[in-house]
Amino acid sequence: MEPQIWILLGAVGLPFVAAVLTPLLYRVVGERVGYFGVAVAATSFGLILTQVGKEGTVSTSWIPSLDIAVRFHVDGLALLFALLASGIGILIFTYATTYMHGKPDLGRFYMALLAFMGSILGVAFAADLILLFLFWELTSVCSFVLIGYHTDEAESQYSARMAMLITVGGGLCLLLGAILLSIGAATAVDGAFNLSTILENRSTVTETLQSNGLFTPTLLLFAIATAAKSAQVPLYFWLPRAMVAPTPVSAFLHSATMVKVGVYALGRVRPLFHGPEWTLFVASMGIVTMFVGAVLAVLARDIKELLAYSTASHLGLMVAAFGFESHYGAEAGVFHLLNHALFKAALFLVAGIVAHQAGTRHIDELGGLWRELPITAGVTALATLSMAGIPPFAGFYSKEIMFEAAWETAQAGGGLAWFYPITAVVASIFTVLYSLRFLWLFLGDRPDGVGTVSRAPAMLSMPALVLAGGVVVVSVAPDLAIDFIIDDGANAAAVEEVHVHAKLPTHVSGPVAMSAIALFSGIAIFPFYSRLQAGLNRADTLTDRIHPTTLYDKFLSDTVRISRNVRSAVHNGLIRTYVWWVLLTACVLTGLGYATAGLGLPAPAFGETPLTIVLVLGVAVVAAVAISTTETHVTGVLTLGILGFMIAIFYILASGADLALTQLVVETLLLIIFLLVLEEMPAFYSDTDWSRISRDAVLSLVVGTTTTMSVLYTARDESDGLTQTARYYKDHAVEGGGGSNIVNVILTDFRAFDTLGESIVIVIAALSVLVLLTMRDRGETQ
Amino acid sequence: MTTVMTRTTARVVVPIILVVAISLFLQGHSHPGGGFIGGVLTVAAFALIYIAYNLDYLEDGVLGREVEKEESIGEHRTVAAYRRLFMFGLVVLVASTFSGMLLGDPVLSQYHRSIHLPLFGEIELASALVFDVGIFCIVVGGLLTVFSVVGAE
Repeated sequence: MEPQIWILLGAVGLPFVAAVLTPLLYRVVGERVGYFGVAVAATSFGLILTQVGKEGTVSTSWIPSLDIAVRFHVDGLALLFALLASGIGILIFTYATTYMHGKPDLGRFYMALLAFMGSILGVAFAADLILLFLFWELTSVCSFVLIGYHTDEAESQYSARMAMLITVGGGLCLLLGAILLSIGAATAVDGAFNLSTILENRSTVTETLQSNGLFTPTLLLFAIATAAKSAQVPLYFWLPRAMVAPTPVSAFLHSATMVKVGVYALGRVRPLFHGPEWTLFVASMGIVTMFVGAVLAVLARDIKELLAYSTASHLGLMVAAFGFESHYGAEAGVFHLLNHALFKAALFLVAGIVAHQAGTRHIDELGGLWRELPITAGVTALATLSMAGIPPFAGFYSKEIMFEAAWETAQAGGGLAWFYPITAVVASIFTVLYSLRFLWLFLGDRPDGVGTVSRAPAMLSMPALVLAGGVVVVSVAPDLAIDFIIDDGANAAAVEEVHVHAKLPTHVSGPVAMSAIALFSGIAIFPFYSRLQAGLNRADTLTDRIHPTTLYDKFLSDTVRISRNVRSAVHNGLIRTYVWWVLLTACVLTGLGYATAGLGLPAPAFGETPLTIVLVLGVAVVAAVAISTTETHVTGVLTLGILGFMIAIFYILASGADLALTQLVVETLLLIIFLLVLEEMPAFYSDTDWSRISRDAVLSLVVGTTTTMSVLYTARDESDGLTQTARYYKDHAVEGGGGSNIVNVILTDFRAFDTLGESIVIVIAALSVLVLLTMRDRGETQ
Repeated sequence: MTTVMTRTTARVVVPIILVVAISLFLQGHSHPGGGFIGGVLTVAAFALIYIAYNLDYLEDGVLGREVEKEESIGEHRTVAAYRRLFMFGLVVLVASTFSGMLLGDPVLSQYHRSIHLPLFGEIELASALVFDVGIFCIVVGGLLTVFSVVGAE
């Protein structure tokens, strides 16, 4: 059944509309605006729920000239992702109303949160590559605003900027990948950016890409984009940093939805790139991240940091699953998408409750919290056991399918391919370890110095409880979830028809053995947790120099240093230097343009030039030479006036009345302005500096040559009557523009867009002068 | 510069320049002229006043108002008026840019119609004139802002 476009537009657009209204509403109702967010999320959730079971692509035109449309595709995968985003959105908004109580700037906070929800729904449904890119980057921007919620804290600023640079940089790779893909698709299918037709005709598209040699570059660009977004090695380091954001943000963006955008996109394009290269790049990246994330999670000392690394690790699991060629890969990826969202969002909410009630997030300072927070402890038990992949909890099923995919790949590939299952098992041991450690916050002994912990308010524990309920449902009756959405979702990411099976193992096989090893080793090692942590810590310190964060900082400081050097060369505060660079750049670019167009050297055509024009221009040339040899400003200005007026006369002789008028008026104005500033200027020029003079002479020659060439190029059609453009303007000026002055009709009608731009430039110039001159005395002096 | 000669010349010349500027602006659509030329010429007229008299002359000499001493030139009442003028121009320009969309046409669509007025005869009325008004205001406001701020230095 076809989905309805207006329902989709409503579901995606409503959060954006609400985001615009939020700051206004915040002024009226204060922080109760959070309930408005709950209502919006619930409405979007309801709208999307009506689309369940439907499949198809709907579109409405947006930029037809570029073949870009607002195109939405609905299938199991899109619905799963959208339902997760809006459903968890409802819970997060509910949680935030209490958690963010009494915090400043809530108008901005809720606005960004709502805009984020709209963007993520847009990503879920977008079936146009450009639209996908747009929403993708919007999620990054919202994430930037939300990570930087504490605008006056340096750490917050640093983390927000880091997340922005990495994820938006990754987004640019996505744009590049989309463009490459559209090049491949343009010859194969119509609608170059239409993702659903590309996926439908994937064999022709991949053939075209392969014959152009663009297949692997496109695949790599998509992989880099998702790596940045979904915190894969080596671009994972922004995610733990992003934990400076308030907990609702961490739970929503940095565990359940935004970081999954990359994974989701991988699932989308999986059928297209499916093959050995895909497995090599994507599965390896995922499995390494799964391992590194799990190890770093064991190292973590802060509960949110632990959860952040664990999120990276689980994202790695999903990426690896999608990377495997086996059909189990698609199943595991989609199934774990749901499971991870449920247990990880719940755990983040728990982390928020613990920090809120106990006043600390440090792991070593917490323990035995079940007495004060019994409900939270129950939620944590369910969620951590699911996270550890312990049967019969939900996480076990999806992880088991992922193991099957790894096992099958290893058996098919042999040799080095055993790297996949072995790394997966080692990573899972660490997963069990840190899951148990998190559970021990509630079960273990109570360390000294834990203050009084009060019971969590209902509004905080309720959303976590709902998520835990979800975990229970999927654990007890996985077929319910599978029939509802997982099967459809897996089919969207799979090449062949698949059906997901989730059941407890009945006989011993490779994957089952993998799970058993991971589980029992994890439990066996857990008593030595702190010793393991100390050992890992030493290894971590040793490799400090090649940490991605160190490299990132070095890269950033190098960039700043280089740009500072460039600035001191190009923008050194002397107008002369500025002019020099601007003119030179303009000339070089123009010259390059002529060179690439291959126009050849223009032939000067003198024709029959009237004597008067020769005379007038001759005077102009003499004046031009005279200017460069004047001694004082006054003579210089006056000679410049002669030059200008000669050119005006030339315009009159060449019947360019409008040009002549403009030239005269501007020339007059220039003279008057010079009169104004004349008193401030030194009477004589400074001493002759030959190096400067020769530099300026070179520039003058370059500018003069470029201008002459431009004139010759543009004027060379004159001999055989009017150019095509000129004839068009002449024929259409009266009927189309309603004026017989063609120049003015061009300015205000035919090329009004140019005029609009130029007028805005005048405004900007006026504002700059105003600001520069009136505000230069107000502090901020360096 | 504030000699008797300049002042007398300015008194005679400025009204003529202004009239010419306005006529250039209005006839722009069918004869040489237009918003930019008219605007720059208007600026020239005002600039002449500044040179012959000073920035406050328009307020105390022409409008007969008391001039308040402001802290900085940016807050000067005349400069503020110019700033408002180019802001107004920008609004007119942008409004005229998008007004075509209300009628379902693309951005920047222009319309024109011939009307008959007593005394003036046939007159071509074009929506491009509104666009031109925007340009005129921006040029006058923008350049005069620059001019008076620089002049005050």
